[in-house]
Amino acid sequence: MRSQLHFDAVVIGGGMAGLTAGTRLAQAGAKVAVLAKGYGSTHLSPSTIDVLGYTPERVRSPSESLGKLIAERPDHPYALVGVDAVSDSLSWFADCAAHGPLPSYEYVGGIDRNLAIPTAMGVLRPSAMVPSTMAGGEASALGTVAIVSVPSLREFHPALCAANLTAAGIESRALTLPMAVERADMNPVGMARRFEDPAWRGHFCAQLLAQLRTEEHVGLPAMLGLNDPAAVVADLERRLGRTVFEIPTLPPSVPGMRRYEILRSALRAAGGRLALGADVISHERSNGRVTSVSTHAAGRDLIYVADWFVLASGGFASGAIELDSHWVTHERVLGLPLRGVPEAGSPRFEREYLTEQPLAAAGVAVDAELRAEGTENVFVAGASLPGATPWREGSGEGIALASGYRAAAVIAGGLRTEEGVAS
Amino acid sequence: MTDLLELAQLRGTLDHCVKCTICETACPVSNVSPLFPGPKYAGPQSERYRVADEPSVDLSVDYCSGCGICSQVCPQGVKIAEINAQARDKLKRQKGWPLRDRIITRPTWLGRAGTPVAPLANLSLKLKPARILIEKTLGIHRDAAMPAFAGRRFSAWARQRSDGLKSVRKIVYFHGCGTEYYEPWEGEKLVAILEHNGFEVVVPKQDCCGLPLQSSGLFDDARKVLGTLARALDPYLTDDDDTIIVGNATSCTLMLKREGREVLGLQDDPVLKRVSSHVYDICELLLELHDRGELKTDFQPIDEVVAYHAPCQQQGHWVGKPALDLLALIPGLQVREMNARCCGIAGTYGLKVEKYEIAQAVGRDLFDQVAASGASTVLCDSETCRWQLADATQRPAAHPIEYLYQAYGLGS
Amino acid sequence: MTTLSTEVLVIGGGATGVGVAWDATLRGIDAVLVDRADLAEGTSGRFHGLLHSGGRYAVKDPRAAKECIAENRILRRVAADCIEDTGGLFVTTPFDDPAYADTFVAACQATGVDCEEIAASEALASEPRLHPQISRAFRVPDANIDVWKTVWAMGHGAQQRGARILTYHEVIAVHRSSDRVTGARVRDVRTGSEIDIEARVTVNAAGAWAGRIADMAGVEGVRVLPGRGIMIAMNHRLVNTVINRCQMPTDGDILVPIRTVSVIGTTDQHTDDPDDHTVEQAEVDRMFDDGEKLVPGFRQARALRVWTGVRPLFEDAKESDTDTRDVTRAHALLDHEQRDGVGGFVTITGGKLTTYRMMAEETVDAVCRHLGVSRECTTATESLPGSESGATYRLGERLQRKEAALQDEQVICECELVTRSSLEEAMRRTGSTKLDDIRRQLRLGMGPCQGGFCNYRATGLLHGIDELSAEDANQALLDFLQERWKGMWPILYGDQLRQVRFDDWVFQGVLDVAHAPGAAGAEAVAAEQPS
Repeated sequence: MRSQLHFDAVVIGGGMAGLTAGTRLAQAGAKVAVLAKGYGSTHLSPSTIDVLGYTPERVRSPSESLGKLIAERPDHPYALVGVDAVSDSLSWFADCAAHGPLPSYEYVGGIDRNLAIPTAMGVLRPSAMVPSTMAGGEASALGTVAIVSVPSLREFHPALCAANLTAAGIESRALTLPMAVERADMNPVGMARRFEDPAWRGHFCAQLLAQLRTEEHVGLPAMLGLNDPAAVVADLERRLGRTVFEIPTLPPSVPGMRRYEILRSALRAAGGRLALGADVISHERSNGRVTSVSTHAAGRDLIYVADWFVLASGGFASGAIELDSHWVTHERVLGLPLRGVPEAGSPRFEREYLTEQPLAAAGVAVDAELRAEGTENVFVAGASLPGATPWREGSGEGIALASGYRAAAVIAGGLRTEEGVAS
Repeated sequence: MTDLLELAQLRGTLDHCVKCTICETACPVSNVSPLFPGPKYAGPQSERYRVADEPSVDLSVDYCSGCGICSQVCPQGVKIAEINAQARDKLKRQKGWPLRDRIITRPTWLGRAGTPVAPLANLSLKLKPARILIEKTLGIHRDAAMPAFAGRRFSAWARQRSDGLKSVRKIVYFHGCGTEYYEPWEGEKLVAILEHNGFEVVVPKQDCCGLPLQSSGLFDDARKVLGTLARALDPYLTDDDDTIIVGNATSCTLMLKREGREVLGLQDDPVLKRVSSHVYDICELLLELHDRGELKTDFQPIDEVVAYHAPCQQQGHWVGKPALDLLALIPGLQVREMNARCCGIAGTYGLKVEKYEIAQAVGRDLFDQVAASGASTVLCDSETCRWQLADATQRPAAHPIEYLYQAYGLGS
Repeated sequence: MTTLSTEVLVIGGGATGVGVAWDATLRGIDAVLVDRADLAEGTSGRFHGLLHSGGRYAVKDPRAAKECIAENRILRRVAADCIEDTGGLFVTTPFDDPAYADTFVAACQATGVDCEEIAASEALASEPRLHPQISRAFRVPDANIDVWKTVWAMGHGAQQRGARILTYHEVIAVHRSSDRVTGARVRDVRTGSEIDIEARVTVNAAGAWAGRIADMAGVEGVRVLPGRGIMIAMNHRLVNTVINRCQMPTDGDILVPIRTVSVIGTTDQHTDDPDDHTVEQAEVDRMFDDGEKLVPGFRQARALRVWTGVRPLFEDAKESDTDTRDVTRAHALLDHEQRDGVGGFVTITGGKLTTYRMMAEETVDAVCRHLGVSRECTTATESLPGSESGATYRLGERLQRKEAALQDEQVICECELVTRSSLEEAMRRTGSTKLDDIRRQLRLGMGPCQGGFCNYRATGLLHGIDELSAEDANQALLDFLQERWKGMWPILYGDQLRQVRFDDWVFQGVLDVAHAPGAAGAEAVAAEQPS
C-alpha cells in the first residue's frame, strides 16, 4: 500500500531557507509540509542576520553595496532575487521575531547600515540585523568592556576576546567568575537554563558587580536564556546597572535555537506542517515536473505528492550536494544539474586555506526565478544555490531569507494563477 | 549481508558526524543530568574507541534513555541512539542483567501474572510498604507511576465478541501489551473507530514486541520475542500487498517498523521485513485515509481545551504528527501542542530506582507546559507516557483516538 | 658560543636515534641527541604505526622478516604500553594470486614468523567488513605501535639518567680534524643561537637525511634513496586487526587500525628530496581503490587525512634502482673508520621502525668499540618508562580515564578526549606556541573535526598560559588551521567535505578569524567604524 499525503507545496529542508519558504507559503494560504532531515543551520549559526559583510572589503552599507555586487556578479543569489526580496524578507523576519513566542525578543538593524558585532574571538564582524540581546555590543556603542565568563564554559575565552577587542580599539578586559556548577563541561543549553533562574542570576550578578568598574559594559557568551532572553538581559542590566550584551560562540547556538522557535511558531501559526526526521530519498517526475518526493519513514517510504517543491537542502554542509571519492559532484536529493563545479582535472581546492576555494561556490543551477534547471516546479533556496561563498562574504542568513522568501513568492503567484484558472 | 556486517555499517554512520552538537541540544537526559555525557559523546565519539574484543569501559552509556530524539534531529544521519543501544547491549552482556531488568522487560509475564489477581496486585502497588519492598529488592523506584491491571484481557474481549463488523476490507490489529493488560478499552475504541470506517478488524494471537527487552540491553531475548511476533502476524498478510497492520501503541509499532530491525541487526530477516512494511500507527493510518477522502468525518463538536504531546517514539516514525491534523477535524476542540522533548519515562527507564529522578527532571518542562496550558486532558500516543503524564500532572491522559471515538458518538 | 662535551653525539631524533641515546645511557655512556625539529618528526612519526610480524617480508626479504619477528617479541615486552596487540591477518582476496598463499606459509615457517591459517568464515566473523570473498586467511602477530609514546618514553627515560636531548637544534656543520669526526655545531632554529658539541663518537642516525649528514662530515658514498609514500587515515576503525594482502608486497596492501583510525598505505615514489611531501592525485585514487579491495564500501567511508613519509633506503651498490621497494629493507651500520678511514663516526641507516631497537643495539656496540669499553646492552629486557607492567595498550584507555572523571574534567579536544589539564600541562612543558607541537603530544585536532572545535579552545588556553599578544594568539590559531588543511585538501570528499564546510562556518563565519588583528584580511576597526 502506498503511503502518501497530498500538499500544495513541499519544502525540502528545515533550516533558515526552508522554514522561511514554508512559512511564507503557508501565509499565502498554501497547504505546505516542511520535510526536515533534522535540525538545520539555525542551530549552528550565531543568528545574526548577515546580508553582506565583505566583498572582500568591509561593507558599510549592504543596501549601497548590493547594487554593485549584483552588477558585477549576475550569478550571485542576490542578483537573482533582487534587492527588494532582501529588504522585504528582513522586515518579514523581524516581524516574525517581534510577534513570535519569545516575549520582547526583537531583531534590530536593517540593510542600510552594517552593525559591528564582536565574535568570540573578539573580532568585530559586520552584520545587518542582530537580536536585541546582542545589540548592546555594537562597536560604536561600546566604551570600555568587561568580557565575562565562567571556567566551566570551554566554548568561550574571555581573555582572547578582550585582547582582540582591545587591539581593535575597544578597551576591554576579561573576568572569569568562579561560579560553581555541577559539571566541568557546561554546555550552552545548560548555561542558558542557568541564566533563566533568577536565584542564579542574583548570585552571578552579586559576584560580578563586586569586580566591575563604573562605565564598563558587560559582554557575556550568547547563552542568556532560551524562552525569555529579553527578560533575562533586562534583569541582568537592572541588577548590574549597565548595558549587557551577548556574544555568539561556537555551536550549538542558543540564539539559533531561539530563531528556530520563532520560525517554527510562525510556520505552525500559519497552518504549515513540519515533519522531523523526514529524509527525502527518491522522487517521481513527469517530464519537467516533479510530482512527488518520498521520505524514508519507518517501515516504508512515505510519499508526499505536491504541485510545487522548494529545495532548501543545505548544499555541501548537509551533504545534499556531495563530492564523492571519484571527484564527481552530485545533487543527491533530486539529481538536479549543478553549476560552478570545476571541470574534471581542475583543482577543487587550493593549498592555501583562507582563500577562495574553487568548489565552494558550486550549487544547483537555477534560472532568474530560482527555478531549478530542467524543472518547472522545483525552486532552490539557501546554501544549495550557486554563486556565493556566504561564510567568507558574510551573507548566509541574507541569502537564506531572501531566496526562501522569493521562492515562496514565485510559487504563491503560480498558485494564484492555478486558482484563477480553476475557478 | 550478515548481521555483523549490518551492525558494522550501522556503526559506520558515525562517519557522518561533524560534531555539530545539535543532538546534545536536544537530548533530554544530558540536559538535566551530568551522569549521561550526551549523545554526541556516547554515540559517534566514544564509538571510535570501542573495540569488539575489548571490554566496555563507559558505564555512563546506560543512562541513555533510548528516546531516539538525537537520531531524529541529527542533520547528517548519524544513527546515534542505535549506536548507544549497541554499546549498552555489550555493557550489559559484560555486567550482567539485574533481576529487575529481566522482569520489567517482560510485560507479558507481568500481565499474565497480574491480571487474574488484579485488584490485589493494584492495591499492593499503591501501598507504600509494598513499594518500598519492591524498590529494595527489585530496584523499581517507590514513586514511579505504575499502571493498574485491568483485570481482564483485550484479546478475550476480541475473541468472545460475535457482533463485529464483517467486511471485505480487513485490517489486522496489533494491540500490544499496554492495551492487552492495562487498557483494554483503548482497543475496544480503536476497533469501534475502524468498524465505523468500514473495516473488519482481525485480532491475531500475539505477544510482546520485545522493545522493553531491547531497551534494557537483553538483545538475544528481544530478537526471539520480536521474531515470534512477526511470525504471528505474517500469515495475515495477503498476496496483494495491501494488508494493513495497525497499532495504537506507538512505541511498539515503531519497534516492529524499524527499531528492532536496526538495533538488533535484523534487516535481512525476510518475515520481519515483510511485516514491518505493513505496519501503521493508528493516527498515521487515519490521516492517510483522510488524505484519500476515505475517512468518515461525521464528528460532533467537543468544546474542550486539550494538550497534545507527541512522544519521542511517535516522532521516530518520521511521519510528522498526524494526531494534530486528526484532532483538528473535531469542531470546537482546542489543541495546545506541547513543545517539550520527552516526558521522561522512556518506556521502563523512569521506573528504575537509579533513573527515576532523572526521568522526573527530564519531564519537568513538559509537566509545567501542561499545567500552564489550561488543558483538561493530556493527549499522547504512547501508554507509558500517558501513565507518567497522568501521575505528574494530576490530569487524565488519553490516546488521541479517544477523542475521535467520542466525537464520532460511538460511546453513546 | 656554548660548548657541550659528551661521549656520544647522536644526530637524529627518530626512533633509531632516540633508541641509541636510550641504549647508550643505560650502558652508562654520556649522550647528547640533536634533531632539527621535534622528536619523531621525520620518518618515524610519519608511517602507519605497524609493528611488523615479518610476514610481509618472509617471501621477498627473509633477513628483514627474521629481524622483525625477533624484535616484535622483544618490543611487546619492553614497550608494552606503546603497543596495542591487534593481531594481524594475511588474506587472499579475489585480486590476489591464490598460489602465493602456500609460498607465504612456507616462508613464514622458514623465517620463524608465527603464522596460523584460519577459515575465511572465521576471519569474516571477527572482521565483518572484510571482502566477503576472501578465500584464505592467516593470523600473524602484527600489532600497532605508538611511535611518539615510544620515542618520548625513551627520551624521558634517557634524560632522567643524564642524557641531554636538544630538539629544534639543526646540525649546521660536522667537525672534522684530519681523520676523525669530533662533533658538530648546531643552531637552535627558534632563537638562532649556536652550540658546539664535542663528542668522542658521533652517530649519524638521521634516517632519510643521513646522506646529507655524511656529506657534511666529508664522507662519500652514503647513498640514502628517499622513497616517498602516502598514507590515508580513515575516520574510524573499519577493522580491528592489521589486514595485509597475501601477495608480493606492493602499494596499498596494508590496512592498519591505530588509535581511533584505520590507515591505508602506502605508495612508493622515488624522490631526491627527503623533505618532499608531495601528494599526487593518482596516488590518492589508487589508495582508495586498494582500500575498496580489502573493505568493500571503503570509498563511502570517511577519509580524514593524508600525509607522506619518506623511507630511508640505503643502497650500497653503485647502480641506481628507481623502484625503491626492491632495495632491501634491512638496515645497514656503517663504521666509517673501517669503511672510509674516518674515525669517531658511525652511520646507521635503512631499516624499519620495527627493528629500531636492534639497530640501536648494533650502533651502540660500535660506539662501545670506539670508546674502548665493553658494556652489555640491556634494552631487550629493560622496560621503557611506563611499560613496566607489561600490559599492552588498549584503545579504550582514554575513554576509560575520561569516564572515571566524567564530571570533573573539561574536555578540550572532544574527538580525541584531550582534557584541559593535560593540555595545559603539555603547553607549559613544551613552552611551544605552536599548537602543532601540542598536537603531536596529545593528538589535539587529530580527530574527525580536525580542530574544528578544539582549535579555538586550545588557542584560548595558549593565550593565557603563554601570555601571548592577541596577534600571536590569532596567528597560532591560523597556523593550526592551515596545518590541518594541509592534510585534508588532497583527499577531501564526502563526509570530510561536510566537516570542512562546517568548520569554515565556525572559523570564518562565527569567529571571523580572517579579519582578526594580525591576520592578512584584518582592517583596523577605527578606520571602518561608522560614526
